[in-house]
Amino acid sequence: MHSLVEPDAWVVLRLPSGNLRVLQVTPNTTTSLGKYGSFPTNLIIQRPYNLTYELLDKRPDEKFNRLRIVPAAELYADVLSSDANTQTAEDATPAPDAEGDDGTPPTGVEYTLVDSDSGAVVASTDSVEIDASARQTLTLAEIEALKKDGTDAGRELITRLMLSHTAIEQKTEYSLAKYKLLKTRKYIRRFCVLPLDIPMLNYWHLEDKDASKIMEMREEMVALLGCWANVHFGGSDPCEAQPIAKIKQEGEDTNMEEPGTEAVQTSSPGRWIVVDDTGGLLVAAMAERMGILYPSEADKLAREQRGAKSSGSKLGESSSAQQPVAKNGEGQAQHAVKQNDDVEAKREQEEEETLPKPPKVAHKRPSEHRRDDAVPYAHANTITHIHPNSQPNLSFLRYYDFEITNLTPSPHHPLAKHLMTLSWLQLLDPDLDPTYSSPPPNVTQEEIYSWKTNRRSAFHRKRKRWMRTRHIVDTTRKGEFSGLVVASAMDPVSIMQHTVPLLAGGAPIAIYSPTIEPLTELADCYSLQRRAAWATNIPEELVEKTPEEQEQWPGNEEFPLNPSLLLGASIQTSRVRKWQVLPGRTHPLMSSKGGAEGYVFTAWKVKPAEGKVEARGKLRSRKRKAGEPGVV
Amino acid sequence: MSTASPFLDPGPLTTPGALALVHLSRDNVLPVYLSNDSGMVDGYAEGAVINTRFGSFPHSTLIGQPWGSQIRASIVDTGSRGRKRKLGNFTDVDAAGNDTEAAASSTSNTKDVKTAATGFIHILPPTPEIWTSSLPHRTQVVYTPDYSYILHRIRARPGAQLIEAGSGSGSFTHAATRAVYNGYPKGPEDRRGKVWSFEFNHDRFLKIRDEVQDHHLNGIVQVTNRDVYNDGFLVNDESPEAECIFLDVPAPWRALPHLSRKKPTQSQLASGGLEPLKETSSEWKSPLRADRTVHICTFSPCIEQVTKTVEVMRRLGWMEIEMVEVAQRRVNVLREKVGLNMPSERGMNQSPRNVAEAITRLKQIDGRFKEFYKDKQDTDVNMDDTEAEKKHEGENKDNDIVESNADLGRSPTVKPWMAGRLVHRTEAEIKTHTSYLVFALLPREWSEEQEAAAFENWPCGKEKKVIGSLDKETRKQEKREMLRGNKEKKITAAKGSDPAVKKSKTS
Repeated sequence: MHSLVEPDAWVVLRLPSGNLRVLQVTPNTTTSLGKYGSFPTNLIIQRPYNLTYELLDKRPDEKFNRLRIVPAAELYADVLSSDANTQTAEDATPAPDAEGDDGTPPTGVEYTLVDSDSGAVVASTDSVEIDASARQTLTLAEIEALKKDGTDAGRELITRLMLSHTAIEQKTEYSLAKYKLLKTRKYIRRFCVLPLDIPMLNYWHLEDKDASKIMEMREEMVALLGCWANVHFGGSDPCEAQPIAKIKQEGEDTNMEEPGTEAVQTSSPGRWIVVDDTGGLLVAAMAERMGILYPSEADKLAREQRGAKSSGSKLGESSSAQQPVAKNGEGQAQHAVKQNDDVEAKREQEEEETLPKPPKVAHKRPSEHRRDDAVPYAHANTITHIHPNSQPNLSFLRYYDFEITNLTPSPHHPLAKHLMTLSWLQLLDPDLDPTYSSPPPNVTQEEIYSWKTNRRSAFHRKRKRWMRTRHIVDTTRKGEFSGLVVASAMDPVSIMQHTVPLLAGGAPIAIYSPTIEPLTELADCYSLQRRAAWATNIPEELVEKTPEEQEQWPGNEEFPLNPSLLLGASIQTSRVRKWQVLPGRTHPLMSSKGGAEGYVFTAWKVKPAEGKVEARGKLRSRKRKAGEPGVV
Repeated sequence: MSTASPFLDPGPLTTPGALALVHLSRDNVLPVYLSNDSGMVDGYAEGAVINTRFGSFPHSTLIGQPWGSQIRASIVDTGSRGRKRKLGNFTDVDAAGNDTEAAASSTSNTKDVKTAATGFIHILPPTPEIWTSSLPHRTQVVYTPDYSYILHRIRARPGAQLIEAGSGSGSFTHAATRAVYNGYPKGPEDRRGKVWSFEFNHDRFLKIRDEVQDHHLNGIVQVTNRDVYNDGFLVNDESPEAECIFLDVPAPWRALPHLSRKKPTQSQLASGGLEPLKETSSEWKSPLRADRTVHICTFSPCIEQVTKTVEVMRRLGWMEIEMVEVAQRRVNVLREKVGLNMPSERGMNQSPRNVAEAITRLKQIDGRFKEFYKDKQDTDVNMDDTEAEKKHEGENKDNDIVESNADLGRSPTVKPWMAGRLVHRTEAEIKTHTSYLVFALLPREWSEEQEAAAFENWPCGKEKKVIGSLDKETRKQEKREMLRGNKEKKITAAKGSDPAVKKSKTS
């Protein structure tokens, strides 16, 4: 994530009322905050995130409001001063004076809600508000007038409101604070610029937008999924020198064992399967954990330069591809270099393999076309997304500058190389998939050159698409994935049926469900009794089968899934409760969002020993032993 | 990378020397450093051996297996080794000869170790989650629900520099390392994601340092023995340049003044009730990364600690302070079998399944009762009658059983593991409180000069469009214009078509 607000980046503006405004900061526009006013967007571009701004009054010679950064001391002034007051009040011996009632909060009457982020009181349940309207001497018209020509970011108005409140002296210290806060929230012209990263995107959708769209998946659930599925940076490409997934039209099978001959034997590339029905939130969250969500700073730099150089006019992408990477010494940049090399290497490889042509012909081809032949995917640190429709729904990725539907995504975005998508049909029955099963015609180079330009480009486009699909499908079907993450409306049993065989031994599995029922059903497939029954009496049709065949077994009524393939199946839930922390007023928030509780199923894929496994327990022991270890 | 940590890249097979986790049951996981010493270890001819309640497992049977493999127990002579050792005292030469013989035989056919029928284990690659559950409690462990949420909130992402104070049991250290890992540094200039861990207790420091060594985390975890309250967070007088901070210390507020961008002023410290920082001769160096927002989380079990921490945070300029607690529950799934005819096993509830069953039983009891008294009152009754009646009753009962078993236990179509109703319940013991988590962030500094430079680059006054919150009318107007634009493009009609007419039409 970047430290400064980039032009055209998506940001969140939080208003004093606590409302969020998500927008793309387009240069040379005016950002409107509704009733709080407006300001030129350029004033927050290339400025830090997480700052709180206040709208300044227009200068006489300018038509726009400038911004002022509000220092923390000012934001906390009320809280800290009240803190000091309560401390002295508590420390002092209770002296029964005339105003004693005012000094101590009336118990049982006041409840306060706190702004979750600023820690300041924002609303109350008592009758202050009603009183306020009754005792406020300023009329509505006067307030409106003050708002119109209101100066000093609305503070003048707030002060006037407080002053003209007839019962202000009768208020206790706390109710006064609340009254001020209430009015401040309503009239102060402040806002805060926040980055739209995964926690923020998640929060925004849960609180402001349609929570059902992301399956009501709370932050703690996303975090649990990522941890239990062990999703992390999965290593740089282990096959740089020798791409294993060559696409061969002859259909020669490249074996996963192949890199074993190299020194990379000890390394298993991190590849995860993600089944995501949350519109891309889960994919984005996992990508964030793997360090492939945000375009590297170097790319941003490049775009900036491009933007500056050719103000508006589009520049060739290829030229800017290598240019910026060398400049930046950061880790991400190096990663990018690696990928570039990788593409290079693969390109050369491809050249030799797919086109056994005389070299002069190959040289004639423009470099753009040569690039087409390379499969632009990395072999490590990848996400394979399986989707139920013909196109993946990963719309949230657009907030991170990545459009999955875009046929030619920005080659600089890390997701372009590390995110692969395929449909269930392509996974399970690729021959029925029109893209996979129709290889482009084998035409010679000369023929292609005899074609018209648009036909030629159509041919290359189709061929490229076919090669990508072919690569994704073939590598996915080979399996050996490092983990599985699921947040899907589909029955988890059916998902497990087809994904468990794709996992490597010891690979973790984490499945989210807003309700527990689908997960209990899944956990029941791996129940102690079922496992014991399987161990003692394996279904007849499997007795003579190899372990691989047993993994692929479609299941029957008694055993919907092969229960020996999973270990430690368990279900958990977790919920975060927020608290208000104010001097003398610390307690949990009075209300929060309900809805789906959210549950996570976790387990590990294991490789059962061949043949019958006995488990009698140690004979010498006196105690009764559970016959089956490792079962919940 | 053969030296990669098994936590980060376990490889396809178990290898000698690497850490493996032996899974006995959900809450019983045994960390094992696999050793392929072929000689006699600890009196075992098979080399190192793990003894569990499911039998004995020589390391040789665990090495070179794919991760996740189920391993059968082996027949290991656990009984005679003690005797042998005793014997060795006086028949040294002989024993040595025996040993080498045994060792030789074991090395030549390690795979031929006879399997025992005592049981099996699964061997799993280490992950912070399983590691946490296998931890001996040195201090309070930060469990998965807490650390996963913390790492998510403090934005610990690949490439980040993370400060952890109070390494404690090391559970958070491992999880944090996984979160920030983006490769091992290839040289001193190669800056990668790193965990800077500080531990006050010397014994725990030594332990965690050894752990880092054993888990091949050198270069991505730096452990320092330090009293962070007094001595701050600089390592070798260099700043870690951290973006993420996790404080698991008893008094986080005493560590906070060191985590400032500028040296905190006396008044700031005094008002927070803190002592002034130790004067150092060198100028103030911040352990924080200058050009990033810094996220912090403190982990304290008591509310008083939280109050104090939050107050000091406010005085030191931390923003978006928020306190939460995480409540986790694990859920057990089971099949609840209720019915009169269920076998009396543990967990079975032998009460009627429904009202009908209850009534049937009551009728039966009532009938038997009457029968009994009938016998008492009329001793001359014909015994055959009662027997016939009883028989009849028994038949009835049998019918009932068959009926009630139609969708339950014993009927041949329903297997015992599919009988009963699928239910779930929270596990027997729950952790109702772990700690309070205080989150906050510190935005980067922004000076007047930087602002002026940015204003220079992005001058104002040429705004063409309004974005953000538009009122409904404006939005509608925009939409209309956009649609009209599309239409016009399609028709490529003359511009003369009166927009006012259309507007009135649509509105």
